[in-house]
Amino acid sequence: MGNVDRCDKTLPTNEMMFHVRRDAKLRARWLTDLEGIAREFGLSREEYEALRDKDVRRLHDIGVHQYYVPQILRLFYGAAANTNNHPALEAYKRAYPDEAARSLRLQEELEKRRG
Amino acid sequence: MAEIVAAMAMTHSPGLTGWFDRAPKDYQEQALRAMGEMRERLARARPDLVVVFSNDHLLNWPINNTPEYTVGIAGEHVGPAEWYDEWLGLKEYRIPGHPALARYIVNEGARRRLAFSYLRQMQFDDGVSVPMHYLNPSGSIPLVPVTMNCTVPPIPTPERAYQVGTALREMLKAYPGHERIAILATGGLSHEPGGPRYFWVDEEFDLWFLDLLKKGDHQALLRECTLERMEEAGSGGTAELIAWVLALAFTKGPAEVLAYMPALAWRSGTGMVVWPHLA
Repeated sequence: MGNVDRCDKTLPTNEMMFHVRRDAKLRARWLTDLEGIAREFGLSREEYEALRDKDVRRLHDIGVHQYYVPQILRLFYGAAANTNNHPALEAYKRAYPDEAARSLRLQEELEKRRG
Repeated sequence: MAEIVAAMAMTHSPGLTGWFDRAPKDYQEQALRAMGEMRERLARARPDLVVVFSNDHLLNWPINNTPEYTVGIAGEHVGPAEWYDEWLGLKEYRIPGHPALARYIVNEGARRRLAFSYLRQMQFDDGVSVPMHYLNPSGSIPLVPVTMNCTVPPIPTPERAYQVGTALREMLKAYPGHERIAILATGGLSHEPGGPRYFWVDEEFDLWFLDLLKKGDHQALLRECTLERMEEAGSGGTAELIAWVLALAFTKGPAEVLAYMPALAWRSGTGMVVWPHLA
């Protein structure tokens, strides 16, 4: 099955993200006290470090639900104007250069077709 | 008895409101024209309410408990959820609910051995906010949101959705009232939100799927468009089309495709569809 099946439904990061998005107080601490939030939700060191490093590929590898990964990045970089040039998307391009290159080729092909 | 008066479906990608102008001009024009057409047809159907089939993106339910279906039973729905306003570029909106009909779905569903969870106050991200912004901008059509889980495994199959959609159709038609009910499905087409193929749109899949809708043979669609095929075309996102399969159960015959755009800028195959004939 697809990438979404790689998620670990029991991973503390996945539980934490549900609450962070609903709680302005937790979001206000994201940039200054991520380690404290991670401790409160029982994250492993590995989970905390992947978050701290904004490491898209590692976040996927340890089982963070794919839907939460861009949201984690938006907590670091802001949510407005989330275009393909937003820093959150640039992090994806760095993590998955082959997929990003393939998309770029498709983009060019579509542009050519539209004239 | 209540009456089904319209059935339509559209993509709900956040780019349609949050960064609409980043897509090519002709995509913007096509999308606006198609959504304008949907809005007009919806108004012409004079619905007393719209039942919106969408999906919960892990917003209302935590990952340790993701019900297959959830009904929002509020007297008034308020969106977008905290923190999503900036991403969607949307201000607060309010739409009246229809608590009596929403609660009927929950209870009548249980009698038919279908589990509908419910929320007295449902939160809204792109799934409901984006289509309501374009199709129900003044909030004049009351809303009953029905969300499903199509992002946390196990994802229900299209066959299962068609079965639930058929039961919903029977239930809504049997509702003891004279309500005129419009059906709107939101989600899809191909996309992989947050996955390695975040930037990808599978145009071939999308056109194939829309073609199946145009042919209007439901059994053929269910046979060919498996969950596996949806996942191949973009994991964790394309399966939002299960909402379209729910709506399909309210229709018969060919769908009319108003627009399709392989919109990489919106990170989603983007389409708008209306079914002229209702089941």
